[in-house]
Amino acid sequence: MTSSAVTTVTTEPRRGTGFLPRAEFQHLIDLLGEDGRTVIGPTVADGAIVYGEVRAVSDLPVGMGAEQSPGRYRLVDHHDERYFAYAVGPTSWKRFVFPPTLDLAESHRDEHGHVSFGPVHHEIPKLAFLGVRACELAALGIEDRVLLGGPYTDEDFRKRREHALIVAVQCAEPGGTCFCTSMGTGPGVRGGHDVLLVELADGFLVSSGSEEGAGIVARLGLSAATEDQLVEGSDQLVAARDRIGDPVATAGLHDRLLAKLDSPRWAEIADRCLACTNCTAVCPTCFCTSVSQRSDLDGRTAVTERRWDFCFTKGFSAVALGGNFRPRVQDRYRQWLTHKFATWIDQFGTSGCVGCGRCITWCPVGIDVREELNLIAPPPVLGTEAQVAAHAPRTSVFHVDAVRPETHDTVTLALSTPDGMDWSRLHGEFVMVSVPAIGSIPISISRRLPTGMELTVRAVGPASTFVTGLERGAEVGLSAPLGHGWPVEAAHDHDVVIVGGGMGFPPLRPIVDEILAHRASFGEVHIYHGARTPSDLLYKEELAAWASRGDLDVGVTVDRADTTWLGRVGVVTQLFDHARWDGSKAIAFVCGPERMIQATVSTLAARGITQDRIFISMERHMECGVGLCGHCQVGPFFVCKDGPVFSLAQLGDVFGREGI
Amino acid sequence: MPQTEGSTARTEHDAEFVALLNATWFGANLPPEAQVRLVGLARRYQAPAGTTLLTEGQLANEIGIVLSGRVSLRTLVPEQGWVTILTVEPGDIFGQSALVPPYRSTSTVVALQPVDVLALDGPGLRAALAADHDLAAVLYPRVLQALARRLNATRLQMLDLFAR
Repeated sequence: MTSSAVTTVTTEPRRGTGFLPRAEFQHLIDLLGEDGRTVIGPTVADGAIVYGEVRAVSDLPVGMGAEQSPGRYRLVDHHDERYFAYAVGPTSWKRFVFPPTLDLAESHRDEHGHVSFGPVHHEIPKLAFLGVRACELAALGIEDRVLLGGPYTDEDFRKRREHALIVAVQCAEPGGTCFCTSMGTGPGVRGGHDVLLVELADGFLVSSGSEEGAGIVARLGLSAATEDQLVEGSDQLVAARDRIGDPVATAGLHDRLLAKLDSPRWAEIADRCLACTNCTAVCPTCFCTSVSQRSDLDGRTAVTERRWDFCFTKGFSAVALGGNFRPRVQDRYRQWLTHKFATWIDQFGTSGCVGCGRCITWCPVGIDVREELNLIAPPPVLGTEAQVAAHAPRTSVFHVDAVRPETHDTVTLALSTPDGMDWSRLHGEFVMVSVPAIGSIPISISRRLPTGMELTVRAVGPASTFVTGLERGAEVGLSAPLGHGWPVEAAHDHDVVIVGGGMGFPPLRPIVDEILAHRASFGEVHIYHGARTPSDLLYKEELAAWASRGDLDVGVTVDRADTTWLGRVGVVTQLFDHARWDGSKAIAFVCGPERMIQATVSTLAARGITQDRIFISMERHMECGVGLCGHCQVGPFFVCKDGPVFSLAQLGDVFGREGI
Repeated sequence: MPQTEGSTARTEHDAEFVALLNATWFGANLPPEAQVRLVGLARRYQAPAGTTLLTEGQLANEIGIVLSGRVSLRTLVPEQGWVTILTVEPGDIFGQSALVPPYRSTSTVVALQPVDVLALDGPGLRAALAADHDLAAVLYPRVLQALARRLNATRLQMLDLFAR
């Protein structure tokens, strides 16, 4: 669509349908190629029908089709003159609007340590997509919702979408793996196109779906289609619909599927699934990405590169401090299938599947989602809507004002920016810290300052090791605060229990700051910190100062100690499992390794704190920070955008579930 | 009369010990008869910081209930020296090996702070538990609770969750 409102798919079609004789099709290709457009359409390459540049009719798969079944794709020669008598192949239009790799930003560090961050500007090519099917229009519509539906948006995608003219072709030759009928996306085109073609035996019915499309159709100078031609076109569509049938019972699928998270079928599928990522690579709606740094040899200049990533890879859900929340293939298959058909609806108001069948055809072991869905969640109601836009956070340059070592591998950095903004008032739980040539990492804010913030960072990977080595005066890039933080205001007039284990303690410190700033607004306050050893304890002086105030109950424990340590040894829950406070009036804030959170939550629940009053911060692999890369998904949530702080009630049975 | 005076003194002593028991989660809200039995087996002592209260491998003759202060359970590990596995805080017990054959302490117990301890005589308590099933029925669940709590904590410590 070349209109600016790319999410609108209801443009009124021009009245009237013309007829373009087959012999004049080159005229259409030539018209599409005007105004500097490159025409992309079906071509035969590598044993398949794939999208590539089309300059002439001879580039099209004339007379060709493809047989498709689970795990199988074979080109066939129909021995006729048709150009579009095939079902979709392995490529989708996604690659032209959401490229497999894309340079996002450039960063520099000069010889004085000054850093700068800037966007990479791309020449967005003007393209005409020739041969877009109904399922593919639906896929573009879904990508619009995901990438432009807000609150953060992908501006590169927006431009590419706006620069693409869409010539749709009515489906007359569905493949053996198609199920668009079940997903409600086809085979009939219902909008989202500029021009619509219906291929008949001797030519094409041509109509328009936009102003621009109407202009092109007008220039073709067509005669009006005859009644017989229109009937021939609609008969083809009915025949296509009949051939596909309705292989997946989608009514109520969302609820049925989520009720089957513990189905033994997941493990059975995993016995066959190779976790090869083929299904996600060919999917026209999968949008997950990873970002890495490509730097020159001296590390001064780096380019941030985004590439498609796949939830079937083991590393996709690995977290910075080690560990992986979806280690088994069955976990990853369940994540993929439940996201496509269930949690996608929770997030975006639409299914993530259009029924194009690519994932079935291109699965090397022929796993058929139609069959699996019916087996896992045997059969009733559909989703809703969503949208609105905003802009992704920019990187601001911050100065390191002070570095305070906390432990042998952890430091607290005080950072400020001269931008004049009162950063202490910005909501959000964490920032993305960017270092040229090294990368970006999410770090929780451990204290809010009027001109910036403090971040407490442990050296675990290249980026965090670099950040912990920064000295006073150094510069780094920071995003605006992201995510939803602790609902401290909900704790007004309540008792407060704060439990932080290891590196889970820094994100909780702003809560203590807030309480101390308005001490009278809170009841009893209990602060518990557990660490591995005494030398791993954070904020030792502050803890001592808090404890000496008299109006805070501070407990500290370590997992093991030598004889020089005179404090407590034991797990953090032992600090309060026999405490005398009354949990019925308390709100709890908990952060740490997930297993520690589980143990803490059990103990808090036993002390009478209900699930809606226990807030935890989820640890997941956060990469983009704005809900667009897919890594941090947990059930219906993206941890970076919807969390990382959740109430237990909000998480429901997603919390603590294996492999989610 | 001396006998009466002795009884009164004994009664006051018992009441004081019962109050001490009730201030601990281990001893609180046990049936009065059970508390009286325990008090009959109890002595109270104070020890300065640094005192070794029990030694690993030695007979554990008493179960200690910490009234105040902190004691550490330690074990000697070659090349690591003394490693503190757990600290026992007021209300909790140590020396429960006195109830479990072969009645030898599984760790060395050292006071980290000046401690006040209510100690129950091990052989006497074993005999009382064997003879008085009502006492056993109320006391063993407390001991089990203390052990289960430690077992759970030990599991979490074994996971070494904060290592990464």
